[in-house]
Amino acid sequence: MPVKNRFAELQNEITEWRRDFHENPEILFETHRTSALVAEKLQEFGCDEIVTGIGRTGVVGVIKGKSDTAGKVIGLRADMDALPILEATGLDYASKTDGAMHACGHDGHTAMLLGAAKYLSETRNFDGTVVVIFQPAEEGGGGGKEMCDDGMMERWNIQEVYGMHNWPGRPVGSFAIRPGAFFAATDTFDITLEGRGGHAAKPHDTVDTTVMAAQTVLALQTIASRNADPVDQIVVSVTSFETSSKAFNVIPQTVQIKGTVRTMSTGMRDLAETRIKEICNGIAATFGGTADINYMRGYPVMVNTDEQTEFAAKVAADVSGACDDAPLVMGGEDFAFMLEERPGAYILVGNGDTAMVHHPEYNFNDDAIPAGCSWWAEIVEQRMPAA
Amino acid sequence: MPIKNRLAEMHAEITAWRRDIHAHPEILYDTHRTSALVAERLKEFGCDEVVTGIGRTGVVGVIKGKTDSKGAVIGLRADMDALPMQEQTGLEYASKTADAMHACGHDGHTAMVLGAAKYLTETRNFDGTAVVIFQPAEEGGNGAEAMVNDGMMDRFGIQEVYAMHNVPGLPTGQFAIRPGPMLAAADTFDIVLEGRGGHAAKPQETIDTTVMASQLIVALQNIVSRNTDPVLQAVVSVTSVETSSNAFNVIPQGARIKGTVRTHSNDMRALIEQRVHELTQGIAATFGGTAEVTYEHGVPVTSNAEEQTEYASEVARLVGGSCVEAPMIMGGEDFSFMLEARPGAFITLGNGDSAGLHHPEYNFNDDIIPIGCSWFAEMVERRMPAA
Repeated sequence: MPVKNRFAELQNEITEWRRDFHENPEILFETHRTSALVAEKLQEFGCDEIVTGIGRTGVVGVIKGKSDTAGKVIGLRADMDALPILEATGLDYASKTDGAMHACGHDGHTAMLLGAAKYLSETRNFDGTVVVIFQPAEEGGGGGKEMCDDGMMERWNIQEVYGMHNWPGRPVGSFAIRPGAFFAATDTFDITLEGRGGHAAKPHDTVDTTVMAAQTVLALQTIASRNADPVDQIVVSVTSFETSSKAFNVIPQTVQIKGTVRTMSTGMRDLAETRIKEICNGIAATFGGTADINYMRGYPVMVNTDEQTEFAAKVAADVSGACDDAPLVMGGEDFAFMLEERPGAYILVGNGDTAMVHHPEYNFNDDAIPAGCSWWAEIVEQRMPAA
Repeated sequence: MPIKNRLAEMHAEITAWRRDIHAHPEILYDTHRTSALVAERLKEFGCDEVVTGIGRTGVVGVIKGKTDSKGAVIGLRADMDALPMQEQTGLEYASKTADAMHACGHDGHTAMVLGAAKYLTETRNFDGTAVVIFQPAEEGGNGAEAMVNDGMMDRFGIQEVYAMHNVPGLPTGQFAIRPGPMLAAADTFDIVLEGRGGHAAKPQETIDTTVMASQLIVALQNIVSRNTDPVLQAVVSVTSVETSSNAFNVIPQGARIKGTVRTHSNDMRALIEQRVHELTQGIAATFGGTAEVTYEHGVPVTSNAEEQTEYASEVARLVGGSCVEAPMIMGGEDFSFMLEARPGAFITLGNGDSAGLHHPEYNFNDDIIPIGCSWFAEMVERRMPAA
């Protein structure tokens, strides 16, 4: 059983939806047009319930199977938001909005889940309920968390959740997954070091913030090299360094250092936060300055549960012939919030030899649509087989 | 012999000139009104020659003594330019131009040399020639260098040059001087480090510019602590750091570091320039990046010649009762270009308990006018005594 025939038939239609989304990208929670279009389509397919405004602009559709003997409910999730990037693909259907672009393939994710919803509403060949979840603000907005905070899981009694992401560099339509920790927790830090500014020719009257900040940046490297268990994964990157003044003859009063921390476990995450605070305060004190540390926890570690991962991999193998082991990814994924609330799995589907996600020349590969849609539909039909 | 009676009589007139210049500050080479005013006065006094346009907007006046038996020629220099800052003195004669202010007392310097010129043209009680020099662009524009490069020294046969600067904090009318290096050479460096930018969660694919820049800032501290002779003076200050991007999740492609170097000898200056280049290239190479170093020579060391300093301090004692030893100053002074061309001396005169130079509430102290004028006049009369 490779891809479902019905999806081969639907491919042109789904591709049209995808390209329409691509042409009209919307950022973060501003997915007004996309959400409205998704809700309209779900209505048209004959979903049993459509609720908008979950997690601000999120949309939920409910599709009941032929039967419901065991009260099973599975959630399938897609993301709808685009990125603040100026598109450089030169496509016919390139973004009409300057500085907004579907450069992460969420246009494809949304279209594929819509396609699965259309098929599932037509066939209803399962015993239980499917909840299709369309979230805004996956790209740094925590849209998945907002939907959970709005009580989505309880309201529809969702028992398991599944998500999918296209992956440039993997053969089109091929799948890869891994159990356990998969995508990293992504935290950020924003540190302001304060010394005593003054004339650059009178260093003895100052507490030099550039030296203090440079020592801090270097000391932060020792978290990964000296504090972390070498078997575990961690990244501490200082990504921005800015003095409060830019003159040639003034020692700046403050320096702002920003960066990100990526970890694969709560233990490493706590360690990084603790050490960043200790190092910044310690170095500031050493030089007679002060440190104001703002450590912001972003997405948690995204953890695939064992049982659901095994099942998802089996379905992927059914659809595409095989399912590979995916590597750990140090990037973050908002779906982590849903996986914190319910068991489930997140899978990668190959996008072929395209530009990387977030690149201005990236484009979702429409050839992945039949495989992606088939996986969604099979997850439902095999997990809740018709009685 | 304290101050000259004639100059005490002229106190009110010179003060009026000073306040008029204060109300009309002009920046760098744009001293058009001030230069015209100076040239007009010099002609009115009866100078033997008045030349404008030396060093763009500089003005030179020639005053011949009663006799000229030996061909002696002395240059007396004042600076005319103001600073690009908003005045906050609340004075009646405060700057009429927004963001321009005489916050370094060049209004007073110009008025005092004008006063001396008036006196000298009236009396001409000396054997030789006095050349009064009014330069633009002392504040970072190298106006003195421009006048020297226009051939001023040779054209007027100048053999020695003298200048004076007011000093807040030094008691009103107190002279101070030191032989040898007095003010520093002030150079700047502007370094662009380039690594390989990338995703902050994939440090292994990048060459991290924030780490490279931090290593460099810390290494630059070793110049003063390890490379320079501890008996000598040097300052290396990094004053500005800017990463090429400021996001939380991007390792920046480049980082720009700016700063200043202050030294009191040409050897030290050359050593530091060489070490800045070596450390920067070495650290960039160590991390696999590249560096572009722009090292700009600013004003050279202001070095007072022994004989002229002794003479200047003797005249200061006659006029002011005492002359103390001035400390070394790590700030720079444009007059250094004239002192490179000819022997001479730079003397400081107490401005009393005023706000510091370059402060928005600073004001030149008119009480020191007769003292300053007397010193200039006495320099001419004593150095070239009437036959």
